[in-house]
Amino acid sequence: MSRDIYLPQMARIEKIIPENPQIKTFVLCFVDEDFNSSFSYEPGQFMMVSVPHCGEAPISFSSTPTRPGNIELSVRLAGKLTGAMHELRLGDLVGLRGPFGTPFTMDKLSDRNLLFVAGGIGLAPLRGVINYCLDKGGYGKITLLYGSRAPDDIAFSADIKLWQKKGIDCQLSVDTAAEGWNGHVGVVTTLLAGLEIENPKSSLLCGPPIMIKFCLPELSKMGFTDKEIITTMERHMKCGIGVCGHCYLDNKLVCVDGPVFDLAQLKAH
Amino acid sequence: MAGLATTFGSGAMTNSIAEIGRAEVILVIGSNTTEAHPQVARRIFDALDRGSKLIVIDPRRTALARQAHIHLQHRPGTDIPLLNCLMRLILDDNLHDDVFIEMRTENFNQLRDMLFRLDPREKAAVANVPLSRIKQAAELYGRASKAVICYCLGITQHICGTDNVQSIANLAMLTGNVEKADTGVDPLRGQNNVQGACDMGALPGVFPGYQAVGDIIIREKFARAWQTELPARPGLTLLEMTHSQGKTIKGMFIMGENPLLSDPTLARVRDTLEKLEFLAVSDIFLTETAELAHVVFPAASFAEKTGTFTNSERRVQMVRQAIKPPGQCRTDSDIISALSRRLGYEMNYESTAEIMEEIALLTPVYGGMYHDRLESSWGLQWPCFDRRHPGTEFLHKYNFARGRGCFVPAAHQLPGEQPDREYPFLLMTGRVYHHYHTAAMTRACARLNRESPEALLEINPVDAGSLSLVAGEMVKLATRRGSIKLKILISEQVAEGMLYTSFHFTEAPVNLLTNASSDPKSKCPEYKICAAQVEKII
Amino acid sequence: MNGFILKKDNLVPLLRKLRKGGRLVAPVQNRHGDTMFTAIEDFDRQHIDLKNQAQASLKPFFFPQEEPLYTYQNKKGYDFKPVNSSEPTIFFGLRSCDLTAILYMDVIFSQKSPDPFYFERRREAVLISLGCSRPFANCFCNNSRSGPFLEYGFDLQFTDLGHCFFVEADRARGEELLERWSCYFTPATEEDCRNKYQVVLEARSSFKQTVHVDQAIKKLTADIDLESIWKELSSRCQDCGGCAYICPTCTCFTIVDQPVDDTHGTRLRQWDSCTFAGFTRMAGGHNPVDYADHAIRRRFLHKLKTDVEKHGRPSCVGCGRCVGICFGGVDMIRFIKMVNELPAEEGK
Repeated sequence: MSRDIYLPQMARIEKIIPENPQIKTFVLCFVDEDFNSSFSYEPGQFMMVSVPHCGEAPISFSSTPTRPGNIELSVRLAGKLTGAMHELRLGDLVGLRGPFGTPFTMDKLSDRNLLFVAGGIGLAPLRGVINYCLDKGGYGKITLLYGSRAPDDIAFSADIKLWQKKGIDCQLSVDTAAEGWNGHVGVVTTLLAGLEIENPKSSLLCGPPIMIKFCLPELSKMGFTDKEIITTMERHMKCGIGVCGHCYLDNKLVCVDGPVFDLAQLKAH
Repeated sequence: MAGLATTFGSGAMTNSIAEIGRAEVILVIGSNTTEAHPQVARRIFDALDRGSKLIVIDPRRTALARQAHIHLQHRPGTDIPLLNCLMRLILDDNLHDDVFIEMRTENFNQLRDMLFRLDPREKAAVANVPLSRIKQAAELYGRASKAVICYCLGITQHICGTDNVQSIANLAMLTGNVEKADTGVDPLRGQNNVQGACDMGALPGVFPGYQAVGDIIIREKFARAWQTELPARPGLTLLEMTHSQGKTIKGMFIMGENPLLSDPTLARVRDTLEKLEFLAVSDIFLTETAELAHVVFPAASFAEKTGTFTNSERRVQMVRQAIKPPGQCRTDSDIISALSRRLGYEMNYESTAEIMEEIALLTPVYGGMYHDRLESSWGLQWPCFDRRHPGTEFLHKYNFARGRGCFVPAAHQLPGEQPDREYPFLLMTGRVYHHYHTAAMTRACARLNRESPEALLEINPVDAGSLSLVAGEMVKLATRRGSIKLKILISEQVAEGMLYTSFHFTEAPVNLLTNASSDPKSKCPEYKICAAQVEKII
Repeated sequence: MNGFILKKDNLVPLLRKLRKGGRLVAPVQNRHGDTMFTAIEDFDRQHIDLKNQAQASLKPFFFPQEEPLYTYQNKKGYDFKPVNSSEPTIFFGLRSCDLTAILYMDVIFSQKSPDPFYFERRREAVLISLGCSRPFANCFCNNSRSGPFLEYGFDLQFTDLGHCFFVEADRARGEELLERWSCYFTPATEEDCRNKYQVVLEARSSFKQTVHVDQAIKKLTADIDLESIWKELSSRCQDCGGCAYICPTCTCFTIVDQPVDDTHGTRLRQWDSCTFAGFTRMAGGHNPVDYADHAIRRRFLHKLKTDVEKHGRPSCVGCGRCVGICFGGVDMIRFIKMVNELPAEEGK
C-alpha cells in the first residue's frame, strides 16, 4: 500500500506575479520532471499546498490544463500559511498534493453562453476556466463581472486586458471608488441588473459568501435554472480526500463532492 | 475572601461542588461558570436536569444565563442595590427564616432597618432591571428549601468587592441557606491552586491556615518551628507591590505570576518592574514579566512534580510526577529551598511529603493531611484536623466558624470610574474558555490557540451600528490610561453601552486600560469596570 | 457455524500463547480502578477485567490521538520521511460496539484510497471480541444494531456461559487460531449452543436504556425542524471535545506541522472535533458554521443522518460513552430522546 496519499511532491517557484497587494500568483513546476510532465488536472480542482512549519491549505488552480508544463496557484494573504507563501522567492520550494476535488464539467458547458461572476480572489479559479474556454473554443459568448473592494484591489488585470482583446465582455466594479476611477461603483451584483444572456446559458460564480447570496436570486430572475448556476466553494480542509471532515457542508464534503457545485446540488440535502 | 471571613468566619466555598447538583435553587452571580468553571457548570446542568431552578445575575447574557429560568441582566457595579432590593422583597413576602436568624446570626436589626428604609423601585432602577423580575427571583430563592449561591470575580473585582460578598452572605443567612447540606455560599476560585496558595499563607496578613501574623501566640508557634524571627506586621498587597513604582520595593521574586499581563494599569506595572534593582522570575515559560527579569529560574510544570493542589471546594489532592523536568528546570520547592540556602537559611526537606508533614504540624485545618492519606483517594477537604478526621464536606455545619453569622449591611457605591461623554462605554474584562490566566501555557498549545487565537471585543449590535462597525473589524479601544487594537465581536451577550473582552492576549493587553482603583478592604482591583471609548480604525 | 468451548481456567494460558505472536491488548483495571485497553506485559500483575466497560474504545490503537505522518526538513527543499510504527497485535475482550466501530473505520479510512497509516495497523490486528451478556449502564447497542452480540466481523467471538466461554470464528484468521491452539478448545455440544443462544436472548432483554434510534433516524430523514434542539444543546456544550475523543467512530482529524527547530519538524495527524469552532474557521477568520447555535449539529446529523444515507447505517454504535463523559449532558441518548419528543411533521 502506498504511503503517498499524504506525501507532498516538491515544486519549484518559477515565477511570482503580484496581482494586487494581497494576491500573488505562483507559477510552479514539480521538481521531479517525469511527474511534472505526466501531471494533469481539470479546471475547478485544487491542490493541498505545504509550506514548512505551516502545514497545508487548499488552493485552487488559477491556470488551465490546456497549457501544460507548469501550474499556477493564486494565493491571497489571509493566515499563517498564505503569509508564509507570500514571503517565498523565486526558486523556493513548496510541497503540493493533488489534484483534488470534482472539477467543472467543461464538456457540458460547450456551446453555452457563459456568465462569470467573481469577487476578489474568487476570480482565481474562474481564470483557469476562462482560459480553458479560450484555448479549447466551442463555447458561446463569455461575459465576466468582476467586483473588487477598491481600484487598487483589482487582481488579474493583465488577464482581463487580454480577455477583452479576445472579445470577452469584462465588466468591473469596485465597492468604493478612488480618484481616477471612472468605472462602475457598487457591489458586483449591481452589474447583473440590465444584463441579458441568451439561452442556452450557464453562470459560474466564485466569491465571498455574501456575494453568492445576493447573486442567486438575481440569476434566477435572469432565467438561469438551478443547474445552470455553478459555484466553487472555499472551505477549511486538511486531507483533500474526504476523510478529515473539516469541509463538511450539510451531508456533503466540499473536498470530494465539490468544490464545484451547481445550485441544484446545494439545495438537495 | 475578606467578605466571607467577616460574616461567616471563613473565606472559602462553604459547599462541596457535588452539593450544587443537589440544590433546589441555584443563584449564580458574577460568574461565567460554563467558561471559567466547567466542572461546576456540570453540576448546575445536573441540577437543572433534576428539575432545579436557576437564577443568573450577570450583566452579560452568558451561555448559562440563556439556560436560566430567571436572568437579571443588571448594570455592572450595581450588585449591592440589586441584592438589597432582592432581600427587601424577601422580607416583604415574609420568606426570610426567622428561626435561623434568631438562633444562628447576629446584627440582623441593622440589616432590617436598612432594608426597610430603601425604596425597591429606586434600587431596581439603579440596577436597570424590572422590579417584577427581581420579585420573581426573590420568590424563587426565598421559597427554596435548599438554595446555593455561586459567585466569582464578577463580584469581587469591584471597588466594593468585599461589600458585594457580604451582601451575598446576608442574602443566604436571611433565608437560612447556610449551615445545612446542599445550601451555602460558594466563591468559585480561579486557578487550580489559588485556594491552596491562600491556605498556605500567600496573603499579606496570615500564616498558613489563615492564622494572623499579628497574633503573638501564633507567631511564636511558627518562630519555634522555623527557628527564626517573624515579622508581626502584615506584608504588602498585590498593587502595593506591582504599582509601587520604585518607592518602596527594591527587589522582587515573582513565582508563576505574570503581572505584566494580569495586573491593572500595566504601564505602572512595567514602570515598577523596570525600576527594581533586582528582579527574579520563576516560571515554566518566558512570560512578559520574565523577559524583564535579571534572573529567570526555569520551573517544572505540574506534570513534573509531586505535591498537592487544593481546589475550590477545599479539596487537597495529590499530583504525582509523571515526567522528569526537562533541561535545567527544577520544581518550585527545589527553587525556594536552594535560594533560601544561598541566602543563609537552610531549608532541608527530603521530599514534598516532609513539607506536607510540616504543614500538618503548623496548620490546624490541614492537621490530618499527609501524603500517604492523600495518595490513593480523591483527596481530603479541609478542615481536617487529625489523621482520623474524614475531612469536611460543607462548612459551618450547625455553627458558623466565627460562632454566629454576622449581618453586615452594605450601601451602593459608585465604581471608580463611570462612563462619561468622552469615554461613553463601560468596559468589563474577563476570561475565555480556552485560555488560562495570562495564557503563558495555553497559547503555547496549538489547539487551544486555534480555538481562541485573538482577543475579541464584544459589542452590542446597536452600538456597532451607530459606530458603523462591521463584524470582525479591528477597532481602537481606549481608556484614560491607554489604548489597544483588537477585533470586535458583535454580540447580544452584552447590553447597549457595555463592552467586554478578555485579558489573555499580549497583543491586546487589556490591562493597559483597566483602572487601578481597588477595594479598600480586600485590595482586589476593579477589573470589571472602567470607562472606555471605541474608535473605528481608518 | 461451528462453536467451540474454552474452559475459563484455560483463558490465561491461551492468551499467554497468543502473546507470543504479537502484542496482546486487553481491558486491564489499573490501580485507580479504571479499566482501559492496555498491552499485557505481565499476566500476574495485570488484572484482565471482563466485568466493566473499558473507558476508551480501541480507536486510539488504530487511529492514535496524535501520530507522526512524516518528519521533514527544509534545508535543501522540503524533505519528507515517513514514520513507521506498527506491530502485530491481538486484541482480546473488545465488545461488539467497539468491533462495529472498527468495521466502520475500515470504511471511512478507505474512502478515496486506503489510508496507509490506519491499514498498516489494521492488517496486523487480530480481533477477539467478547459479547456483552450484561450490558452496561448507558449501553444501547441493541437499538443501534451493533450488539450485544455480533454475527460477523470478528476473528473470534467469545460468549461467557458462566463456567466456560463459547467461542466462534468468523474470519480465516480466527479459524487459524482455533486450529493452531485446538488443544485448548473442545467442540461445542448442542446444549452449549442452546446455552449460548439463551445468554444472547437474556442479554437482549437486560438493557437499562431504551433508545429509539430508528425512530429518530426516520424523523431526521424527514428533515424536521430541529433548531430548538440545536440551540439548547449548543448552549450546554462546553466545547471540550470529549464526546468526539471518546467516541469510537469519530474519525475527524487535523494535520499540523510541529517544528522541532528552524529547519526540522514533524507533520502530525491529531484528532479533531466538529464541535470546535476552529474546525471550520477559515484563514482570515470567516466561519461558515454558526457555532453559537450549531456547535453540535454536525456531530449528531453526521452520525444519524449523513452516514445512514452514505453507508446504510448510523455511525453511533450505542456504547454510551458520550453519556458518561459530557459535562453538559449533550449526549446521544439525550439527543435521540429530544428528537423523538418533537411532534412529527411533514417534511419541509
